[in-house]
Amino acid sequence: MKNQLVPIVTMPEVATVVDIREEIADVRTFYFTFDRPEIERAFRIRSGQFIMCTVFGAGEFAVSLPFSPENDRKHISVRKAGKVTAALHELQPGDKIGIRGPFGNGFPFEEIKGKNVIYVAGGIGLIPLRSSIVHVLQHRPDFGRMILVYGARSSRDLMYKDSIREWQATRDFETYFTIDRPEPGWTGQVGFVNQLVAGLNLPAENTVAFVCGPPVMFNAVIKELKLKGIKEQDIYSTLERHMKCGIGKCQHCAIGRTLVCVDGPVYTYRQIKTLGEQI
Amino acid sequence: MYWLPKDRVRLLVNRLAESYAVYGPRRDEVSGEVVYDRLEGLERLDLQAAIPYNPPKHALLPQYEEILKYLYQKQSQKVTIEKISKVEPKALVGLRACDLNGILCLDRFFLGQEFVDEVYLEHRQKLFIISNTCVRPFPQCFCVCTDSGPAAGEGFDLDLTLAGQDYLVLVGSRKGQKLVEDLGLREAGSEAQHLREKIVAESVSSFDNFALENKAWVSRATNRLTTGFIKPEVWEYIGNQCFECGACSFVCPTCSCFNVEDVNRVGGPTDRVRTWDSCSFEGYTKMAGDHNPRKPVEDRRNKRFFCKLSYSQSKKYLRPGCVGCGRCARVCPGDIGLPNVVTYIRREITGE
Repeated sequence: MKNQLVPIVTMPEVATVVDIREEIADVRTFYFTFDRPEIERAFRIRSGQFIMCTVFGAGEFAVSLPFSPENDRKHISVRKAGKVTAALHELQPGDKIGIRGPFGNGFPFEEIKGKNVIYVAGGIGLIPLRSSIVHVLQHRPDFGRMILVYGARSSRDLMYKDSIREWQATRDFETYFTIDRPEPGWTGQVGFVNQLVAGLNLPAENTVAFVCGPPVMFNAVIKELKLKGIKEQDIYSTLERHMKCGIGKCQHCAIGRTLVCVDGPVYTYRQIKTLGEQI
Repeated sequence: MYWLPKDRVRLLVNRLAESYAVYGPRRDEVSGEVVYDRLEGLERLDLQAAIPYNPPKHALLPQYEEILKYLYQKQSQKVTIEKISKVEPKALVGLRACDLNGILCLDRFFLGQEFVDEVYLEHRQKLFIISNTCVRPFPQCFCVCTDSGPAAGEGFDLDLTLAGQDYLVLVGSRKGQKLVEDLGLREAGSEAQHLREKIVAESVSSFDNFALENKAWVSRATNRLTTGFIKPEVWEYIGNQCFECGACSFVCPTCSCFNVEDVNRVGGPTDRVRTWDSCSFEGYTKMAGDHNPRKPVEDRRNKRFFCKLSYSQSKKYLRPGCVGCGRCARVCPGDIGLPNVVTYIRREITGE
């Protein structure tokens, strides 16, 4: 897409955390706006890109962008996992963060118009996929069948419950949910995501699939999708790595001959297979 | 080309010192090692000294560099972010061809990819480079195998080649031209080019057998490594020899991986610093939650050799990532410097 802003490369732009939402245990969503109005106006992303987020006094971390490139509130959803993300979780509305980016290639959008789109997510793997889901929904007539398969350990571990409710009520959006073990009051499926995928009637021709989740789930889902006849070059995922610069210089995110920050984070499964490293 | 009498080198360096911090090779009094560093006293410059223990990359990519400074006052919600810019112009004097090629690799990597690294660029724009032909190779050297020596081909402002009591001076830039004119150096005749070629050819022929024998093997190793035709046992052996000390990365002219950290000063602002890092360190790819996608022996400890030799990396540098300085072989406690790795691959191929 041509409307991309030149990314913020070296000096972080100051942004204000305007709202914080508790998603699931240890995962919070932080809504933010840039302090400088010209940046707030000009900041553009592609689905699937990421930013480098500075928690002042603690450090910087790479995080995927869950919001749509169009008409969506800017936010990040972050699990408390290490030193810097723990410091982020201490923040209150009104506090400041620093942003560099957006970086990375992003999910295809224009290229997949007219195709069926399948999203398969496990746990917090829904975070990076949300941007593309919302974006495709905003242009729903341009796409074929649209399917979401989403699983988590329990109903408490499902991300973006508000969005999910909205999606369930959306016409022409087939949504399927599963949790690992039965729970009172749960009306969706029970079992792993790959099992749910196996039982579905999915299109294979003219179809792309976006998959994101923990490695075990990922591999199991890929197997099912391939059995359904979806080609390896039509299965996309987004990878995570330890990153320090975001601009292809620190080399921490090297996988095989590629750097996740500039050549990724979105890869086709065909590419992933040739990278020669576990995902 | 021009002539610079040996005893006028001081004059040249003094002139440079007026506008640059002068870096060059000098012998360390305590250890006896030749180090490449900023010269406190210009008389310490030793152009005849052996290849320095360390490459000059710290002049462009300091081991510890503050890149920005910020202060977040939470009471008033005020953030000030400042770029730290204390880059001074530097003259790198007496660079060996391998080290100059190392800088050219860094240039292509930091300035020629998707993004320009602004921090590196600032250092790079303020360099004056004087290379120095190795009229005799040193025992550790194998630049003839990697096409990066013993004489520089490009990238210098001035290039020196010792011919008897005088240096032949090759001019590589306008800055360099101006300096030779300012110093009033005597122009060399048409025989100079031929003389330099002769000196370089003599140097090439006096490389150790080890280097000469391996000449074709670096490219064959590159081929094998890129196409994946190296047995896992070879990598396993190499991986088991590695101590993960990172010394090879630190003395390598082309290794440039860095870490970024925010360092809080007591009661004051925070510095964002870049520090050298090495892909052989366990923490290099470790993510939050202790997930490490690289396995130590199979993935981590041979990563560096892929970076130096594989075609895909060579595309970034427009040459192999190894410049044949031999420093990794010198410092490696596990005896898996790059030349040895090539030898192991060679043995696998030939069954020696």
